[in-house]
Amino acid sequence: MTRIALLLVVALLAATSVGQAQQLLAWTADEVDSVRRHGPWPPPPVRDPSNRVSGTPSGALLGEHLFNDARLSGDGRISCATCHQAGREWSDGLARGQGNAELDRRTPTLWNVGYLHWFGWDGAGDSLWGQSIRPLLDPREMNGGPTRAARLLRSDPQLACGYEKAFGERPGDDDEKLLVDTGKALAAFQATLVSPRTSFDDFRDALVVGDRERAARYPLAAQRGLKLFIGTANCNLCHLGPRFTSGEFGDVGIPFFVRPGEVDSGRHGGLGRLATSPFNLLGKYNDDPTGVSARRTRHVQRQHTNFGEFRVPGLRQVGRGGPYMHNGSVLTLEDVVKHYSEVSPDRLHSDGTPIVRPLALTKEQSADLVSFLRTLDAEVPPRPAAPPLCP
Amino acid sequence: MKLAATLLALLFCSPALADCPLDLGRGTGWVVFSNHYMLAFRSDPLRIEAGEPFALVLNVCTKAGRPAELVAVDAQMPEHRHGMNYRPTIVSGDNGRYRAEGLVFHMPGRWELTFDVRAGEETERLTHDIILK
Repeated sequence: MTRIALLLVVALLAATSVGQAQQLLAWTADEVDSVRRHGPWPPPPVRDPSNRVSGTPSGALLGEHLFNDARLSGDGRISCATCHQAGREWSDGLARGQGNAELDRRTPTLWNVGYLHWFGWDGAGDSLWGQSIRPLLDPREMNGGPTRAARLLRSDPQLACGYEKAFGERPGDDDEKLLVDTGKALAAFQATLVSPRTSFDDFRDALVVGDRERAARYPLAAQRGLKLFIGTANCNLCHLGPRFTSGEFGDVGIPFFVRPGEVDSGRHGGLGRLATSPFNLLGKYNDDPTGVSARRTRHVQRQHTNFGEFRVPGLRQVGRGGPYMHNGSVLTLEDVVKHYSEVSPDRLHSDGTPIVRPLALTKEQSADLVSFLRTLDAEVPPRPAAPPLCP
Repeated sequence: MKLAATLLALLFCSPALADCPLDLGRGTGWVVFSNHYMLAFRSDPLRIEAGEPFALVLNVCTKAGRPAELVAVDAQMPEHRHGMNYRPTIVSGDNGRYRAEGLVFHMPGRWELTFDVRAGEETERLTHDIILK
């Protein structure tokens, strides 16, 4: 009886295995190579040479405490974590960010933010630490003013102790330097926010090594969607690499107007702000003596075509976020696919072969593309509270 | 790539080019010709990745084997009619070589590199296509 049961189990397993093997679509060598380029995941930890506490545990710990500290805001109500919530994929679930006032753009997720090279929807920041200073000062966001961070670091014994551990000295008298160091600690923390591996990563790894059985566990609809993504839909022209973004900018046909008579100039305005920022990588606060970290900043050029361009977002955890696009104007992932399926070529005014064009997807293709995108999501365990700075 | 390396080897052996060697070392690179000029270049790093900054190391000569001047380097995607988001800078280095810094190909596809070169009064544009995967 036991032997019969065992034989039945073996037969069942074999049948299951055959069934799974049949679920792998045919993948050409070029397609496998395209899929390969979206990994491996996770990437090596971030080490930003422009930030001397990047990649250090003491810098990241100080940053995590500051990230959750509402005393950095003008009215003591808003911390970084107010808008970048761990339980909401490091965003807020709102169409537009809500600080001291409602903003014109959506709060971007912080997942994998340390791997970017331009920051903010308009790329007005060229480092994560520089970008982290911006909301502290912006009257519409935290409205902290230029001296609040310094006063807090000097007056709070725990923060002062954490600062000394991270930076190797007690907080001094230079308010602007302490503001910059606050940004650097915040950046050290945010750079640790790396999204988990997903079922796509398992599929990608299996496909690359030729493990057909393991690859066949990936849902058929997702396989079809992935083929579209790297094939006729050409999504990977901009959503490329392990993070599914080039980190650069594009105009994907979302209206510029933020209110009647007023437009969001996107990258064009961002580059203007970058050039005049005292906290850009060409300034005195860059800790990188080689100058290599400032290469993009030194060579980037502001062009008329930058008008209305916004940063290409990464797609990991995309199905768990939303609303979508820089202004939160698209509510669901299904609507995002619909946008690219029906986008008006007239709005995109391209004089060459358009990079974004109406894909005219069938209902089934749209569903497949969404199925694929959802395999870039993974469950995230609850985040424990940060340990004390100086127990 | 093998063809380019062979061309480099042949050119390096030519006595007329003794003052203008097109061998940039590292055993790899591209050579571009026009009626009046020859240009050899390789990227640094050797592998160009989409979205990642790179430099070009170049040597420019006249067909008579004399050094020529590199005036400008740029790149476009002809199909999409857009260029790079970055403007390279050119530094003249040792041995008559040039280094163009600050190039970024921000998406895969066909990129057309353009090189403006000059010897005396005569300026000419040389081009070379790179397919980025």
